[in-house]
Amino acid sequence: MAKVFVIDVARCSGCHNCQLACKDEHCGNDWRPYAAPQPPTGQFWCKVTDHPRGTIPKVKIHYIPVLCNHCADAPCIAAAENGAVYRREDGLVVIDPEKAAGQKAIAEACPYGAVYWNEELALPQKCTGCAHLLDHGSAVPRCVEACPTDAMKFGEEEDLKDLLADAVVLHEEYGTGPRVYYRNIPGCFLGGLVYDPAEEEVVIGAKVILTRADGTTLETETDAFGDFWFKELPEETVSVTIRAEGFTEKTFGGLNTAECPNLGDVALERE
Amino acid sequence: MTDKFTPEKQNLVSYSLMGPESGGPCLVDSNQNRITRIRPYFYDRDYTDKHCRPWKIEARGQTFVPPDRVTITPLGLGYKSRVYSANRVKYPLKRVDWDPKGERNPQNRGKSKYVRISWDEAAQICADELVRMKETYGPEAVLCESDMHGEGKRVAPSHGCPNRLLALMGGYTLQMRNMDSWEGWYWGAKHVWGCEPVGEMAPNANLYPDIAKNSDMLLFWGCDPETTPLGVVSHMPSRLCYWFTDLGIESVYVCPDLNYGAAVHADKWIPILPNTDAALQLAIAYIWLTEGTYDKEYIATHAYGFEEFEAYVMGGEDGVPKTPQWASEKCGVKPWTIKALARHWATQTTSILHGNGGCFIRGPYATEPARLEVMLLGMQGLGRPGVHQGKMIEWNMWVRDYPVPYQGEFVPKVPQICDCLRAVDGDLPDDIDMRRYDLNDYQKEKAPELVELFKKFPAPKQFIPRCIVHRAITEGQAEWYGLHCFSSSQQPGPDGSRKPTNIYQFDKIVYPRPGCSRVHMIWTDSPCNVTCWNNGNLFADAYRDPSIETVIAQHPWLENDCYFADLILPVATKHEMSDLCNDLSSGVYQSVYITEPCCPPVGESLTDFDVCVKVCEKLGPEYVRAYTGNGLTEADRVRFFYAASGCEDHMDWDEFYQRKIFVVPVKEDAQEVPAGLKGFHDDPAANPLSTPTGLLEYSSTDIAKYMPDDPERPPVPHWIEKSESHDERLSSERAKKYPLLCMSNHGRWRMHAQCDDIIWNREVETMKIRAWDGYQYEPMWIHPQTAAERGIKHHDIVKIYNERGIVLCAAYVTERLIPGVVYVDHGSRLDPIVPGYLDRGGCINCITPTSMTSKNSTGMAVSGFLVECEKVTDEEYREWSTKYAEAWNRPLDPDGGVCLAGWLTDPAMDEDPTNGIRCLKDKEGIPLPAVQTPWSSVDWRTGE
Ligand code: SF4
Ligand code: SF4
Ligand code: SF4
Repeated sequence: MAKVFVIDVARCSGCHNCQLACKDEHCGNDWRPYAAPQPPTGQFWCKVTDHPRGTIPKVKIHYIPVLCNHCADAPCIAAAENGAVYRREDGLVVIDPEKAAGQKAIAEACPYGAVYWNEELALPQKCTGCAHLLDHGSAVPRCVEACPTDAMKFGEEEDLKDLLADAVVLHEEYGTGPRVYYRNIPGCFLGGLVYDPAEEEVVIGAKVILTRADGTTLETETDAFGDFWFKELPEETVSVTIRAEGFTEKTFGGLNTAECPNLGDVALERE
Repeated sequence: MTDKFTPEKQNLVSYSLMGPESGGPCLVDSNQNRITRIRPYFYDRDYTDKHCRPWKIEARGQTFVPPDRVTITPLGLGYKSRVYSANRVKYPLKRVDWDPKGERNPQNRGKSKYVRISWDEAAQICADELVRMKETYGPEAVLCESDMHGEGKRVAPSHGCPNRLLALMGGYTLQMRNMDSWEGWYWGAKHVWGCEPVGEMAPNANLYPDIAKNSDMLLFWGCDPETTPLGVVSHMPSRLCYWFTDLGIESVYVCPDLNYGAAVHADKWIPILPNTDAALQLAIAYIWLTEGTYDKEYIATHAYGFEEFEAYVMGGEDGVPKTPQWASEKCGVKPWTIKALARHWATQTTSILHGNGGCFIRGPYATEPARLEVMLLGMQGLGRPGVHQGKMIEWNMWVRDYPVPYQGEFVPKVPQICDCLRAVDGDLPDDIDMRRYDLNDYQKEKAPELVELFKKFPAPKQFIPRCIVHRAITEGQAEWYGLHCFSSSQQPGPDGSRKPTNIYQFDKIVYPRPGCSRVHMIWTDSPCNVTCWNNGNLFADAYRDPSIETVIAQHPWLENDCYFADLILPVATKHEMSDLCNDLSSGVYQSVYITEPCCPPVGESLTDFDVCVKVCEKLGPEYVRAYTGNGLTEADRVRFFYAASGCEDHMDWDEFYQRKIFVVPVKEDAQEVPAGLKGFHDDPAANPLSTPTGLLEYSSTDIAKYMPDDPERPPVPHWIEKSESHDERLSSERAKKYPLLCMSNHGRWRMHAQCDDIIWNREVETMKIRAWDGYQYEPMWIHPQTAAERGIKHHDIVKIYNERGIVLCAAYVTERLIPGVVYVDHGSRLDPIVPGYLDRGGCINCITPTSMTSKNSTGMAVSGFLVECEKVTDEEYREWSTKYAEAWNRPLDPDGGVCLAGWLTDPAMDEDPTNGIRCLKDKEGIPLPAVQTPWSSVDWRTGE
């Protein structure tokens, strides 16, 4: 028995249902012994983060909902005294609201910032995996149930293994063995539009060559809008050359893909 | 005894905010008379698989299967916070300096605070005022502001109960809703393609299966499928959009902002200046005409007046060819991109999608882009497979056949008692049936108990269009054309068709009508004119006009127009009452379901219906009898309305009562109905449009006949730079002072003015921004470049202003908006610092244009208007907060913003609601919290 969350970022519309459902479940509701009430606002056991990138009009947004990772090797458990944080048989990591009182170290131990400190109750609090619901007949937690696009899934690792094949975890380097997996987190992109200023026409079918830091190249062509895109790039410094028959070629160097550069409307002069 | 983990009660409640349509159900758990949670409703698959014919769409080797549940939206999920909101009206309130027997102080509306009174006193005042009005001026002196877009209550909805009461008084003046989300379609497109009742494409059967199979490209033109459907439909549009991308259909978004749909679905975003779409459209036509890349055969057989249109586009009429260069200067899209779009469109099978609202259809002269869109679709063979105008919401609204194949084998008809939007008797011929709330013969037979309840009440004798109510009040008279009825009311005939109503747009109507008084009292159950209509500041003036002796509001929350009321009557929300709802719109199945109270009414609130019964009790027993249909109770109504709904033929009451829901089996041959206007496409003679010629009118016969000289809506659609009605272009002299275009769409986190107080939505940065002073301001989107020119930084407090007033917001600096524009969602609750002039609540409609869509088009223009914005300086801030200290320092709820306690003479009177999830702790008022770090700046990677 080992439960995991799998979140498909490519299917996440950023609707925030997961964040809101979590609050609806836990703010002001007392689920002791699983969790004390979450304050009305201010804590985000499930937090939808938005990531706008690029510049107008080549702007893309993806959303990453973040929650406790229910780590296999959880620093919060290690930091807790008298077993105040425990791992259940199903793998969910839960803070005991009685035993954890006053233990700020638990909140500080989590490298993901998933634990919030409740001043009023002097209590560390976080996502429980909705264990109180799972133990009382629910198949999935509130956040998963509320997801309208099925971007967020929860279940036995074994049952979800197809989805896990290409999944990653956030900050693997923390080495905590997260059990919340993500699919399709987009890489960097670079784009632009090519046009002929003399005719005021886009240039369709122009060759665009991207030269990477290691000297290898990627190639694409401009589409019906004169647009070109390189997607799923790693963070590195690259250069781009635009070439079309009858035009003087243009090269842009020193482009940092981490900024998702938009070369804008690139005018190609006729030869 | 149940443990706390098992809900004592589970109810189905509508999450829709599109009242009086009820919309989809969600599942509400409650324990100990308090709502515990709100969840999506899951269909009972064992039942629906067997009995309800689940549907799917197959196209290009892929299958779209709808979800097993009703996909609830953020506006429904957070509703617990709305039910127990800090701005619930908990008991009847009277404005402290309004004395119905003495000084009324109309000038203090919007300023002075309230005291608690008893229900007995409140009902007596209402009854006395109604009688006094009738005796002094005649019943038409009472204006009933009551129309649509409230909570999804059905039987006795949130809008319309007062109409019934006022009708019993012998009549009233009706506030007629203008076509607020369809202005351009109704006043413009209708003259091109008929498409009754509102001028959006109809019929719209099977559009989405057809698009999935045949379209190459979708133009989301001012359309946000991730926003406007949220209060109305569900997340089905979102799922469809993902599927279209999976199918390889290209999604192109044309809009000033990278809206929430574009953010995740767009293959291409073409930013355009607000309300300049007509220029882009004309240039596209220019390219098609010069390059011959349109369907000439189709035009030859399907179009009327094409030569006049061609002449205008090519410059034959005014000497100005509508070239891409010409358009580019107006709309901000580069000439090469305009040409590329025109050429690509000509080779790709393309449909255009909308979702109401926004920058496209609610601006000055909205008739022109609306008409031009239809004409462009016509030039590419409108009605051929994959060439349609489709909508991402309101799938249930116009015809019996739906764009998504979920319609039931019969249409469940749950009646409604209220009669909020009806034509004045005699304004329209009898064969145009505008009645909404009536019993048909079947219903009378199945539920004879209801006949008395539906007995005809007298119709109002005069009406005022909602978009000119403020002018009518302040000027004492008004005249306009058309708008006899909010047109969704037109019932389809037996064959599904509707009568053409185009020519009734040309009727001139006046206020006051002969024999009718002007208005001296207002009763509102839709108190959002300042927030949602045109020139909200003028509405504030109208409410404070000395001619208005009494303003009564009945509403669950103290918000917006309520601040101008003399008397406020507390209403229970949909979660606190019984109801019988019908879901025609959420998009998986249609159903009828029963709602029972999840918790007791908050405070002393009553249902909308019972509020009016209270007043009837003071008027006399005959009023109570008439109003309640001889004493039918709420439970009776639910029972007999079920009998009338048509569902009892399929599921008896006992089973229904136990299951709480009847899911209508899907119509077996739903997907066999031809898509869209295929009939007209294939054979226009046999399937004419409802235009005078039966053809697509590129030059309108009706406009040419009735108003040939209207420069703002000529027979052929034009680009209109400025005119008598509007001067809202960047080319205007006014633009020297107000150089930015302001765009406003329906909100992502609100449904019009609804749900501004959901505390969890308010934690999202695009919903509210907590500025340095702790106040949660409405975000104003602005491009970094436009912001930098003004020294504005992310989260700065800014003022947006023009001649009409000042609205405060906080800057949301983003690449998601075209430079030269500011964007504010409409519907943020008013927080009047100087009523009619300065608002802190971010209620952008306060400063929208006064004039109508155009001078003969009785609609409103609330997007695409000139403003300037600046960072609020320390001196200004200090000046306002001291000069208007009382308003500035009204107690606020730290998480919910404006609240009841802020408007009570003694905030301590807002006692803790026993069933509240949160309440005000400090009886002296709430000090603003210390400056907080907005959570969005916390790096989720590090938590710092
Ligand atoms: S994410 Fe943080 S709180 Fe959650 S299990 Fe890992 S260490 Fe503990
Ligand atoms: S599993 Fe439950 S507690 Fe955890 S984020 Fe989801 S809803 Fe919140
Ligand atoms: S509910 Fe689903 S789609 Fe919505 S934000 Fe969360 S993960 Fe994304």
